[in-house]
Amino acid sequence: MSAIHLQSLVKKFGDFTALKTMDLAISDGEFMALLGPSGCGKSTTMNMIAGMEEPTGGKILFGERDMAGVPMGRRGVGFVFQNYAIFTHMTVRQNLAYGPKMRGAAKAEIDRRVGAIAEMLQLTPLLDRKADRLSVNILQRVAIGRSAIMEPAIFLLDEPLSNVDAAFRAVMRTELKQLQRQFRQTMVYVTHDQLEAMTMADRIAVMDHGVLQQVGTPLEVYNDPANVFVARFIGAPGMNLLKGRPAESDRGLVVDLGPLGITPRLPDALAAALRGARGEVLYGFRPEQATLVQDGRGLAMPVSFVERIGARTIVHLGEGESAVKTVFDNDVGLAIGDIAVVAPAASSVRIFDAATGLAIKAG
Amino acid sequence: MATISEDAMKTAQARPDLRDEGARLGFRLTLPAQILVLFISAFPLLMQLYISVTDWSPLSGLGWWNAWSLWNNFANYTDLAADARFWSALKRTAIVMIVCVPAEFLLGLALATLFADDFPGKRIFYSILLMPMMVVPAVAGYMFFMLFQSGGPVNDILSSLTGSPVTIAWLSDPTLALFAVMVADIWQWTPLMFLILLAGLVGVPEDQIKAATLLGANPWQRFVTIVLPKMKMIIIIALAIRVIENFKIFDTLYIMTGGGPGVATETISVYIYKLTTQDLIWGYVAAIALAILIVLSIVAVLAMRRMARSREVPA
Repeated sequence: MSAIHLQSLVKKFGDFTALKTMDLAISDGEFMALLGPSGCGKSTTMNMIAGMEEPTGGKILFGERDMAGVPMGRRGVGFVFQNYAIFTHMTVRQNLAYGPKMRGAAKAEIDRRVGAIAEMLQLTPLLDRKADRLSVNILQRVAIGRSAIMEPAIFLLDEPLSNVDAAFRAVMRTELKQLQRQFRQTMVYVTHDQLEAMTMADRIAVMDHGVLQQVGTPLEVYNDPANVFVARFIGAPGMNLLKGRPAESDRGLVVDLGPLGITPRLPDALAAALRGARGEVLYGFRPEQATLVQDGRGLAMPVSFVERIGARTIVHLGEGESAVKTVFDNDVGLAIGDIAVVAPAASSVRIFDAATGLAIKAG
Repeated sequence: MATISEDAMKTAQARPDLRDEGARLGFRLTLPAQILVLFISAFPLLMQLYISVTDWSPLSGLGWWNAWSLWNNFANYTDLAADARFWSALKRTAIVMIVCVPAEFLLGLALATLFADDFPGKRIFYSILLMPMMVVPAVAGYMFFMLFQSGGPVNDILSSLTGSPVTIAWLSDPTLALFAVMVADIWQWTPLMFLILLAGLVGVPEDQIKAATLLGANPWQRFVTIVLPKMKMIIIIALAIRVIENFKIFDTLYIMTGGGPGVATETISVYIYKLTTQDLIWGYVAAIALAILIVLSIVAVLAMRRMARSREVPA
């Protein structure tokens, strides 16, 4: 009933195309994150689901029901705004009671529902506080409660954590995820922060320039990015991509990276998919999946920068086109100017077509 | 942001000397301006108070500072209490205010609501709408004086609407003259109300309006539960400005009717003007003006107190 289907959804603002033919199926009770840099069309998509904006083309279905022409107040959608949009001139109780009251529910009924939702969100002691002086996590709960009281089948959240300081964000993420488990609604969560998407979502829809790039579970998009954009966008730092050509060597199929030399042998499955291809490819591996090895069995590159972030150390190797980042334990003994020889774990290597940017999948 | 200011406050509270120091510096920096303001406002007020308890007039042959020799035992104030013309002028002023200010407010609010959304030609209408406010009141007075002549455009329009010749003597009829004067005031000052209310209206957070819509509120419910409460402060300010200004209604009215026919449109300001220029009893005028000042001050204080109470942290 509360599944969402986006079918060939298009949105144009004048000459500017904010969203190009988006197809996405979000199943009932799923937590779907729409992830992408600003201007990728994620908020536009969300606003169309909420009914704040009319699609230029395509369809939005809630279950079987076409939402075309259904005004936003009638869609049964809960919406949590970036700044929560709490009614600051009211008390917490008045905020929670707003929806039922506007729909003419009886006083006793409103009191019962407000009481229940406040209990669930631990807002009971705060009910008679004015809503203009509450901390952010309380605001978040009020915003969710205010929507949840309407028992919407679908919850939309528009970057609710972007105004929260980093330390508090982790707390809020946990709380939000727990709330979703409690309510079991379909949730669509818009964010530009991959950490939020990775930690909370069941599936992530990665978007860029109005185009849906990939849909998958957090680990799918992390491990098997569909294209170069997703590879670079997901992960902190993103995937390393080095330009080269497939080449046969005495060790088997490798990628010739030009001045950087040749890579370690490609896994058989990948080699099979790649054999015969002559065009340029991008040799990709995750910074976390490279290890320091003996000379001759990896890529030898000079250390250009060492970034210590506490638990790990990010080592920048090489420069320009052939720059690579690697993540090591914090006790790694590398300094600027050292030559590091790194090799990615064979299973973590991904190859992309340099011309199209698409992943070349192992058979 | 809230946390930052809280922190700052905590720091300030922890070191009260720091806050006092700031206040002292602020006082010293504004002292010259405060002295100037004191002379501009306090000196005339005291002078007025002084003259109001005497029979002094410019023709009395004394400098105003020597007015004490004409001390009259508060006769001005006792006269004032018994002055039927004063009370009827006050009543008339109140009637004008009770009609004009709400009319200007409602029209201004309706126009502001209209202008909060986009429509074709909005900029042009906006400019046209603000024009009455820019017209010099004396000119507006002449304009309405001409419009309401018995052979003037208002009657012409009424004639063509009804199909029979209309020759109403607007400005010679006691009731109609008051009506005409009110029309002129509403015409001239609705734009100010509109401008202030529009500023308030566009300041209402759009997210909260959207949130209300998503929760199922219809346009009227949104207006009553979100827009009006958010505009409360600015509405109080707009009403206070217009109540005070309207109480002093003079130039347009004086040019249109001169307070006439008879005293039919004589408001407090017109009455004071006549006493000052024709009767030359300045002691009495000072007493009236002081009484009015006290009334207006009470209105202003009430409005300010209301505002202070409803003050809230902006969203």
